[in-house]
Amino acid sequence: MLDSDLQALLTTLQMAALTTFILLVIGTPLAWYLANMKNRGKVIIEALVALPLVLPPTVLGFYLLIAFSPQHLPGQLWQQATGQQLAFSFSAIVIGSVLYSLPFVVQPLQRAFEQLGDSLLEASALLGATAFDRFFSIVLPLTKTSFITAACLGFAHTVGEFGVILMIGGNIPGETRVLSIALFDHVEAFDYARAHLLSIGLLVSSLVLLAAIYWLNLISSQPSSWQKQTPEHNIGD
Amino acid sequence: MATNTTNDITSLAIQISVNHGQFQLVIDHSFALSGITGVFGASGSGKSTLLRAIAGLEKNLIGSISLNHKNLVDTKNNDSIKPEQRQVGLVFQDSRLFPHLSVLDNLQYAIKRCHHRRLSLNEVVKLTELSPLLASNVLQLSGGQQQRVALARALLAEPKLLLLDEPMSALDHQSKAKLLTMLLTIQKQLNIPMLYVSHSLAELQQVTDSLLVLNQGKIQHFGNIHKTIHQLNDSDLILKQTSLALPIQRVNNGHGLTELTLDAKQSIQLTTQKHFNHLPHLRCYILANDISISLEKIENTSIVNQIFGTIKQINQQQHNSLITVECGQQDFFVVISAFSLHKLALTISQRVFLQFKASAVRTFIH
Repeated sequence: MLDSDLQALLTTLQMAALTTFILLVIGTPLAWYLANMKNRGKVIIEALVALPLVLPPTVLGFYLLIAFSPQHLPGQLWQQATGQQLAFSFSAIVIGSVLYSLPFVVQPLQRAFEQLGDSLLEASALLGATAFDRFFSIVLPLTKTSFITAACLGFAHTVGEFGVILMIGGNIPGETRVLSIALFDHVEAFDYARAHLLSIGLLVSSLVLLAAIYWLNLISSQPSSWQKQTPEHNIGD
Repeated sequence: MATNTTNDITSLAIQISVNHGQFQLVIDHSFALSGITGVFGASGSGKSTLLRAIAGLEKNLIGSISLNHKNLVDTKNNDSIKPEQRQVGLVFQDSRLFPHLSVLDNLQYAIKRCHHRRLSLNEVVKLTELSPLLASNVLQLSGGQQQRVALARALLAEPKLLLLDEPMSALDHQSKAKLLTMLLTIQKQLNIPMLYVSHSLAELQQVTDSLLVLNQGKIQHFGNIHKTIHQLNDSDLILKQTSLALPIQRVNNGHGLTELTLDAKQSIQLTTQKHFNHLPHLRCYILANDISISLEKIENTSIVNQIFGTIKQINQQQHNSLITVECGQQDFFVVISAFSLHKLALTISQRVFLQFKASAVRTFIH
């Protein structure tokens, strides 16, 4: 592996790590809100969150490219705040990745929060736990498998993205040139040996990560798991 | 021992309406609570909703609730104290123990968040007999054990009012009896006022001092447990019965029977049970269908109890009649067929004998 590929690997890992961190920070309250939302507006937000699952990445990339350009408000605001152009920057590919990988983090968390329900939280509130306390003492320990799953899926999906980054990031070494773009360059240059190296690396690491997630889900769904044994509560009358 | 002897009466003023679509709970009453107050009613009468409203878990609530003259909620003034600040405990039907914590950690969870800490962990563990279970995983406990942990956990938060929402409905009779005895001891020692919801009148008759009866979201009766049960005899909510709390005269008369003093002249006998030795009084009940009436005393019968009294009231229904017989200070309720009423030609103020077997005098805890 050459320096340029190593640099692309580093950029990819930085982008994926930062994206995953941001996704957990904004995805957790969003998933919580969706899990507890009861009105009809919920389906609109759920559809918006799930949109990257079905939308061609180039569509998302195209609109982001327009939004990030200095001629449009988001791009202008960014430029005023930071003094730098947003399009074709590392920040642009992180923002794009956050939007693109949003469902991979929000959906597992939302399912986990829905499954957890209110009963244990009501019990802890009546023992004096504040909302913040309840989140860290009850929600987090009981949904940690889902948090790990969400983080791994968000990370892996971000590492594997191509279309959005190509549209809004271009191919700037050390800034926006990530592994998937480097791979595309090697194929275009008929350098199949280096393309193989990157491809097999991405393939094996993705497989290992996914196998780890499935294994984690398997052991946490054994009969000893609390979810299978907690009786349904009946508010009834 | 952390006992609250400064004020034995807790005032709970409730003026609320809670809307659940078709169902509406409307309560406007001030309660002076002491000891254990029972809450009884059919399914869907609003028992749990009332407890959840007091605890702060009901969102569709309009009105006000105050505990010891301090507002818990007052929607007119946009004033609502969060559940975690109300100092109201709730033991749920499904224990709701934290599955990722051991028994001890579940108890510590309450202690860590309690601001007073007048009660010690040891004291509560002893009262709830949890010492051997402290290290256990809560998922491995039996239903009765889980509810004991839930009760201990709620006590350690040191609530000003403890709500119990059918905590024994999923337990077998033996576990229920054990937990009820425990609850009585705890109430006496710690002096925490409790509201106890149950659909089992036999349970409530054993432990509560007063009874609140809800029907379709409204208060139907509230008062002394025995008087309220007797008032309910006029409804179809319960099996018609006589509810008694009588002093124990002699625990074992040599024939396995225990004598209860009814008045200066008469006593009632029932089958002796182990725990009677420790009791000054006994709470028991006799189903109206288990008592028969005769105009004279019957000799040579296996029926142990024959008491005399005067007919106070005859409530005739289609095929049978509910007859109230006054024996000294105590009213007895008897159901006889319309045929028997006609045959004996019973009238108000007539003196009659009531017969019932020792085994017809029932207690819940045994």
